[in-house]
Amino acid sequence: MSWHVHPELLDEYQRGGLDAARVMAVEVHMTACGSCRATVPGDTRWLDDNFHAVLDVVQAPRRSLAERLLCLLGVPEHRALVLAATPALRRSWLAATAVVLAFAVSAAYLGREGQPTLLWFLMVAPVLPVLAVATAYGAVVDRLHEISSTTPMAGPSLVLWRALAVVGVSMSMGVAAAMLLPDRGWYAVAWLLPAFLLCLGSLAMTTVMPLQLAAGLLGGAWLTVVTVLANVLAAPGVEVDAAVQRQIFGPTAQAAYLVAGLAAALILIMRRRRLEPGGSR
Amino acid sequence: MSDDGGGRVTELSSDVELLRAVARSQVDALQLLHRRHAPWLRARLTRRCADPDVVDAAIQDTFVAVWRDAHRYSDTGADAAAWIWTIAIRRLLSTLRGPAHRWLGGSGVTVPEGAVTTPSAEEMVLLGVEHGDLGAALSRLPPELRAVIQSTAIDGLTVREAARLLGVPEGTAKTRLMRARARLRELLT
Amino acid sequence: MTTVRIAGLGKHFGSTVALDGVDLEIGTGLTGFLGPNGAGKTTLLRCLATALAPDRGRLDILGHDPALATQRTALRRRLGYLPQNPGLYPNFTAFALLDYVAVLKELTDRRERHREVRRVLEEVQLSDRAGTKIRKLSGGMRQRVALAQALLGNPDLLILDEPTVGLDPEQRMSFRALISRLGESRTVLLSTHQTEDVGALCERVVVMRGGRAVFDGTPLALAGLAVDRVWLSAQPPSGSRAYWRTADGRYRTLGERPDGGEATVPSIEDGYLTLLGPVAVGAPR
Repeated sequence: MSWHVHPELLDEYQRGGLDAARVMAVEVHMTACGSCRATVPGDTRWLDDNFHAVLDVVQAPRRSLAERLLCLLGVPEHRALVLAATPALRRSWLAATAVVLAFAVSAAYLGREGQPTLLWFLMVAPVLPVLAVATAYGAVVDRLHEISSTTPMAGPSLVLWRALAVVGVSMSMGVAAAMLLPDRGWYAVAWLLPAFLLCLGSLAMTTVMPLQLAAGLLGGAWLTVVTVLANVLAAPGVEVDAAVQRQIFGPTAQAAYLVAGLAAALILIMRRRRLEPGGSR
Repeated sequence: MSDDGGGRVTELSSDVELLRAVARSQVDALQLLHRRHAPWLRARLTRRCADPDVVDAAIQDTFVAVWRDAHRYSDTGADAAAWIWTIAIRRLLSTLRGPAHRWLGGSGVTVPEGAVTTPSAEEMVLLGVEHGDLGAALSRLPPELRAVIQSTAIDGLTVREAARLLGVPEGTAKTRLMRARARLRELLT
Repeated sequence: MTTVRIAGLGKHFGSTVALDGVDLEIGTGLTGFLGPNGAGKTTLLRCLATALAPDRGRLDILGHDPALATQRTALRRRLGYLPQNPGLYPNFTAFALLDYVAVLKELTDRRERHREVRRVLEEVQLSDRAGTKIRKLSGGMRQRVALAQALLGNPDLLILDEPTVGLDPEQRMSFRALISRLGESRTVLLSTHQTEDVGALCERVVVMRGGRAVFDGTPLALAGLAVDRVWLSAQPPSGSRAYWRTADGRYRTLGERPDGGEATVPSIEDGYLTLLGPVAVGAPR
């Protein structure tokens, strides 16, 4: 090339002091001439900032569905990221929950001895959230636990946030399943208070024992009580399912669940500092 | 701590080599390209848009687009710098979106449409500028005709994009382009 | 300056005593922990990293007492920990994993956090693997990701449990350069099986055995334990002692002087083996 953009010309160009024809000449030339492009000074700091902004887009991990949903609900980005990494919010866990609920709903349709029954659903639905809570935190369910348990966010707030997230998700799934029940009446939501009680209770117990143990104990206790009651009440001429339903999910029982749940919440609030359910403390 | 994975790129690698490496998702290649091209893109875009934030955003978008589309580059056969410029001007256009109120009034010069990157176009402009007649012809061209010539011939936009950029209907831009060409031909002969 | 004070630290798992009254004072710079498997290195480091609560004893780490919840959190803000078996989510990319740990380390601003993630990726030379899923990374690369997470937030105290495991010799060299640079301005505690790592890196070495610290001094002092215990002889020594043939054709023996043996300069390993005796070789887990 017979001609190059010398420094003064470049300077004039950048200051906007060239006439139309020269501007065009400079631009057309620069498009074709690498050495002239290289003479345009690049401010290191600006370059660095600009490139980091580029990297932010090209390298940033793609947000998961859960993360995006949480952000839509107004959860701050960093919190959504932590919550979305909860094992119980992964697809496999959600699928398992859905399958169990589907069985419970089908059982309600098939019924027992020709009678449709909600009992199976009411038995299972409160246990699912507490099982989900069990997977919210701890070395057994989280392979990164050894690292995450030594970060400043570890401990009570992380446990509670995650528990809230998983309970929220699994209860929503429960409510959705309840909509599909044959006889939707009042009993379709009768499992909500027991579910809350089990979740709060296991979190309260977590101040003295590992989370998974607490959740297992309470979940197991619930299933045992319901089964035993069903057997105790079994007598000729008694419609067992309806009787059990009244006993365990009737107004009296609901009031008891509410009181117990509030007590568990109170314990949890008072002892929240000890809520580090890694089993190590 | 060494790594496997493809050929290494350095500051001496050509644009084409860097683009190939970017197509293989090599971040260091993208950084080299950025270091090489961002400064002049910034200078040139600044002449079209006075708002530095918009220019910065357009440059960021450009390199994000380069990262995603580098594998397509080999198909186009265009010069790398021209290819990147085309992306940059379009990014600026879409960053600006609405009317072109922040757009600096363009001054125009003519080269055959679509021939932006060929040496002959450049030679022609240089020749024109040196002999003074093209410069004179341009300065006698009404500004709205100059602007449409700049957008299409120099910036490499299509007539439709130029119309969007200048905030006029496509038909108007087409007419202006034809009028501008006719006037230039007239003035140069 | 003393940054870590350990007094009478004890920990047991069931009937197994993991730590049996450890007393140490550690300052800035690099301190290495050597010892056979089951000597209590990992338990000690886990206690220091607040991953495990000791049964007894007192800790003062960077002026914080980890037994108290609020001080524990304050300590965790200044701590980087590479566990012995870092479990990384296999389906996360290297970037996503570090991003996640960075959030747990309270780097809440997205932009700042991403910058920090890129910085640590750069430190361990994994920038070009940022978008690769953990399960597709080699063992050495995973170890580097695990190290990178410990570096997030530029902590004042780094606790690295077996950091050189899974690294090839070249990576180990880069790693040493990185660690020794980090040790210039902060407290770095690392456990290792590699006596060469200790010799190359640490100004101080603690040898553990049976839940106690049985040696605490410079690597040179550790090697010094084997002065007049390492011999070169023209003939293999009699008896069942362990020896090996060196490159110059002579036989190297550790222990009693063999016939015609002449004393040679001991290595850190010689000192370590002298200290631990036969337990060091083939010790039970």
